[in-house]
Amino acid sequence: MSTMPDLVPAYPEIFLALAGMALLMIGVFRTKDSTGLLTWLAVAAMGVAALLIVNGPQGPVKTFSGMFVVNSFTVFAKLLTLAGAAVSLWLINAWVHKEQIARFELPVIVLFATLGMLMMISANDLISLYVGLELQSLALYVLASYHRNNLRSTEAGVKYFVLGALASGLLLYGSSLVYGFGGTTSFDGLATAMASAPQSHVGVIIGIVFVISGLAFKVSAVPFHMWTPDVYEGAPTPITAFFSVAPKVAALSLFLQVLAGPFAPLIGQWQQVIVFISLLSMGWGAVAAVAQTNIKRLMAYSSIGHVGYALIGLAVGTTEGARGMLFYMLIYVFMNLGTFAVILSMRVKGRAVEDIKDLSGIGKTNPGIAIALALLMFSMAGIPPLAGFLGKYFVFMAAIKAGMVPLAVFGLLASVVAAFYYWRLVKIMYFDAPADAFDPPDTATGFIMTACTVLMLVLFFESAPFVGGAETAAKALSFG
Amino acid sequence: MTYYLAVFMPLLGAFIAGFFGRAIGDRGAHIVTCLGVGIAALCSIPIFSEVALGGKDQVLPVATWLTSGTFEANWALRFDTLSSVMVMTVTCVSTLIHIYAVGYMHHDDSQPRFMAYLSLFTFAMLMLVTADNLVQLFFGWEGVGVVSYLLIGFWFKKPSACAAAIKAFVVNRVGDFGFLLGIFGVFVLFDAVNFDVIFQAAPAKADASVHFFSRDWHAMTIICLLLFVGAMGKSAQLFLHTWLPDAMEGPTPVSALIHAATMVTAGVFLVARMSPLFELAPDALTVVTLIGASTAFFAATIGCVQNDIKRIIAYSTCSQLGYMFFACGVSAYQAGIFHLMTHAWFKALLFLSAGSVIHAMSEEQDIRKMGGIWKKIPFTYTVMWIGSLALAGIPFFAGYYSKDMILEAAYGAGSPAGRFAFVLGLAAAFMTAFYSWRLLFLTFHGKPRADHHTMEHVHESPLIMTIPLGGLALGALFAGFLGHDVFVGEGRAEFWREAIGTTAGHDVIEAAHHVPGWVVASPLVVSFSGILLAYFLYIRRTDLPAKIAGAFPGVYQFLLNKWYFDEVYDFIFTKNVFRFGKWFWKGGDTYIIDGFGPDGLSSLIARAAKRLGAVQSGYLYHYAFAMIVGIAAFVTWFVAGGAG
Amino acid sequence: MESGLLHIGLGHYLTVSAILFTLGIFGIFLNRKNLIVILMSIELMLLSVNINLVSFSSFLNDLAGQVFTMLVLTVAAAEAAIGLAIVVVFYRNRRSIEVEDINQMKG
Repeated sequence: MSTMPDLVPAYPEIFLALAGMALLMIGVFRTKDSTGLLTWLAVAAMGVAALLIVNGPQGPVKTFSGMFVVNSFTVFAKLLTLAGAAVSLWLINAWVHKEQIARFELPVIVLFATLGMLMMISANDLISLYVGLELQSLALYVLASYHRNNLRSTEAGVKYFVLGALASGLLLYGSSLVYGFGGTTSFDGLATAMASAPQSHVGVIIGIVFVISGLAFKVSAVPFHMWTPDVYEGAPTPITAFFSVAPKVAALSLFLQVLAGPFAPLIGQWQQVIVFISLLSMGWGAVAAVAQTNIKRLMAYSSIGHVGYALIGLAVGTTEGARGMLFYMLIYVFMNLGTFAVILSMRVKGRAVEDIKDLSGIGKTNPGIAIALALLMFSMAGIPPLAGFLGKYFVFMAAIKAGMVPLAVFGLLASVVAAFYYWRLVKIMYFDAPADAFDPPDTATGFIMTACTVLMLVLFFESAPFVGGAETAAKALSFG
Repeated sequence: MTYYLAVFMPLLGAFIAGFFGRAIGDRGAHIVTCLGVGIAALCSIPIFSEVALGGKDQVLPVATWLTSGTFEANWALRFDTLSSVMVMTVTCVSTLIHIYAVGYMHHDDSQPRFMAYLSLFTFAMLMLVTADNLVQLFFGWEGVGVVSYLLIGFWFKKPSACAAAIKAFVVNRVGDFGFLLGIFGVFVLFDAVNFDVIFQAAPAKADASVHFFSRDWHAMTIICLLLFVGAMGKSAQLFLHTWLPDAMEGPTPVSALIHAATMVTAGVFLVARMSPLFELAPDALTVVTLIGASTAFFAATIGCVQNDIKRIIAYSTCSQLGYMFFACGVSAYQAGIFHLMTHAWFKALLFLSAGSVIHAMSEEQDIRKMGGIWKKIPFTYTVMWIGSLALAGIPFFAGYYSKDMILEAAYGAGSPAGRFAFVLGLAAAFMTAFYSWRLLFLTFHGKPRADHHTMEHVHESPLIMTIPLGGLALGALFAGFLGHDVFVGEGRAEFWREAIGTTAGHDVIEAAHHVPGWVVASPLVVSFSGILLAYFLYIRRTDLPAKIAGAFPGVYQFLLNKWYFDEVYDFIFTKNVFRFGKWFWKGGDTYIIDGFGPDGLSSLIARAAKRLGAVQSGYLYHYAFAMIVGIAAFVTWFVAGGAG
Repeated sequence: MESGLLHIGLGHYLTVSAILFTLGIFGIFLNRKNLIVILMSIELMLLSVNINLVSFSSFLNDLAGQVFTMLVLTVAAAEAAIGLAIVVVFYRNRRSIEVEDINQMKG
């Protein structure tokens, strides 16, 4: 005898799914190009979903036989994901019209990818995790190769697809082992099973390693990061912006959910590995970026490094660490969106350029863009009074509190190296001889650039409500 | 209100000049920035009398800022004697430099930007000195850092300026790294970053230890050493000093403001601010003393062989900062801050008058190509004398009171490190006098060595530049005399109160007042002998070829001879006495420190980056392979770890 | 006649699936020729996971594993469709689907 599951907690996802299909219909049956219209409808749908999340249940609610969970953590992560996705969509719309490759499927695909992310965040079962993850990934593969007449874009799609499928395979194989040796796919059930048998079967441990590897791929942590620079470079720029924010938030949240949920009792086993990939990511991200000449590749390595810092919060394995990580992600999302808005406004005589050299001397020729990028770079390097400093500060503090001093020290060292290449951009903008001036940015791009830059200052000086939000979210996890 | 005005007016000025520079024009930018800093300077005087002399310490809230769990940091302005002294020094000197800059930069084409940077810098510095907790201090610290790089690289068309800006950035990041670790250490030990809380809890934690690298360390020593690493970076102490001379690529008012009067003294301020902690870490203090004394000596030796007028003064700054540090190292923080204050006046004066010389000599900076201009620019010449007299510590000029106090304190401390500092400090005092007068004589005396064209254009600077010089000269004349009683004399206990923490029964200043007579006299003796030596070398003997040249026609020939003469001096002298200095500079500085220090590190990273780039081959199977290797390694690790 | 069958236990299924999975992985990074082979390798990996899931499901007497398998099959189909589509657009640009030719971006 089965009853209808409680749908209320899943209203945002259900709404997005229906909206996505409706949008697809509009696109198909409307004869004119409806990319612009659909973009705005998609953004509106995300807004409605955000409203549904805010007004929906906040407390721990489970539905669909415990496969779907809503708590203050998922609320925080979903709102952040939606914000990242909506802003990227806005950037994408401005860009596809300029490049004249607008097609109405684009906002629909972004919408479905976002839906997948929300599903991932709310997943409370290996099956719902997998389905959410795949919905997201499949949409992202298509997005990477969206510019289908462009060799680089399609190559990015191929690379992302093959490696992503490999990562999914690893994750799935791990899930099957966890299911087999843990006896259930439900996170709650697994948590009980793990807690009752701390010395778990080796099969479960191997399964967890595979799951961690699959997730590490999604967040592009070293050594599963190899796809990142190529895909970031090849994919159309605003889509790269999207890649660098929304899926990162979703995957990192999932990472937290999985390790803090069913596998929390095994912290002794996975902590070392997370520490290790965090160290590698910070180091690799900092060092490899130094030699880059393409700004999108630079951003790829930069995001690898940032994921490393965020993972410190996970590696610590405390509520404080989780809070640090969530706050870090919050800052990272807007910092990155702002930077990509700057990259998108790098257009000389109507043609997009993406070489770091093209930034030469824009301190003279485009002072507005230059000051925005300089502030964002300082924020990335973690120099006060910009929010990036606070983000690093909280994760490092959490690490030190938990007694992981070497991790924090290494993080600091990596940030010193990273500061070098962020500073290099500032130096090129202000100290090098001016090259061609950029065209003035369009309204959307200019607005997002300004807003994100201002936000970096606001988040620094008025951090309390945001940290509070991250704190409430972190408390919903089952870390001690 | 005065308190807020003193801190935020420069920010307002910077804001207006920076964002509306085009709208208000050069003149408008000059007025708003000078006005902003000027008002701050006017406010700083009542603050000083109220707080330092009247004894009313204040903490003024600005905003609640960060609260998370036990961690709390509020945005507040802390005014005690230490910060009010700093605020007064910074705003007054900065005002004069702002005014000077209006004249100095008058043919630059982005003056609003320059003025905005200067004001912004002043604000960041005020933020630093009025900080109420370590995080806020760090904010000011990074702020001055960032603006100073922008200022060093202000003339970005000069490649050397860009290189210098980058170098300053990298070296300072190394120092900041230590500083941040120190802040973390403080937080771990005290669970707070607020000064009041830390200082109250400090005695109870005097013997705490940390476990690190499998042995126990004295926590306070570690923290103080880490903080000191930060101070070394900012204050250009030995091993981290290489950026300072290069930073002279910036416009001269920048050198005066940042690299003499304010930013570089932030390290000394930090040590004095954290003195309650340093007092509990005698080993760290010994390190501070040794580094400070070595820097004082080492930079002075280099100063003797330089030829660029600004570089000489830059090395001199380095050396004077060394004095301040070893004063702090022997627990004579009051003397250190006193010297900081007097030094701000006369070093800014020296830099600005050097700027005036450069201005007069059509941008020439090599003192071998100057000479014989003292009659043409008498005012600059006079104030430069005043500055040099103050620097050398000739009686009744500012430096006399503070520098002698430091040397006496070093002797009076009675420790081996103190004696070491005393000896090196004396030697440095000798060289200080020597190079200052070498500079004076070569620049102003003798026959002109510049070409006709330049000499014809030698002119006194306009009023807008000479008035600030006059103001600074007044400071260099009287700051020591007026200050010595309250800073280091009878009134010091009442003056400093809680601002400086010294251990009871360990009053080095008191001991310094009771050193033997020869200790008091020796700095004077060495300074005078330094001046005499310079006189003999650069006035007596250079006259000789001048007379011979008078007999022979042909100025060209004569110029060449003069050059040759100088070279011979350099050669003979370097060989015997100053080889050490040159060796330090060439061998020690250029090869060892640059090679293995920041520059070596950055080339290492660049190489590593190439390697990592090669791993990123572009081939799918390599990427997949990396993933598989990663997962295999983790499985092995897990299974081995899980089993064991 | 039963005894022969009884020997086939969970361990055997897991071994078969592990071998298939490894073959799939090797197919991805040892094959340097054709992109289609990689798609097949991915399929092989997913199917080996399915063997795992089904055998666990029957071993544990728990239906969840088989439900999971159904979902994996569905997703695998979608994945193959999207993969092939991407390969097609790549081929249009590059006129080749050799794995060695996919290296425009590196460094």
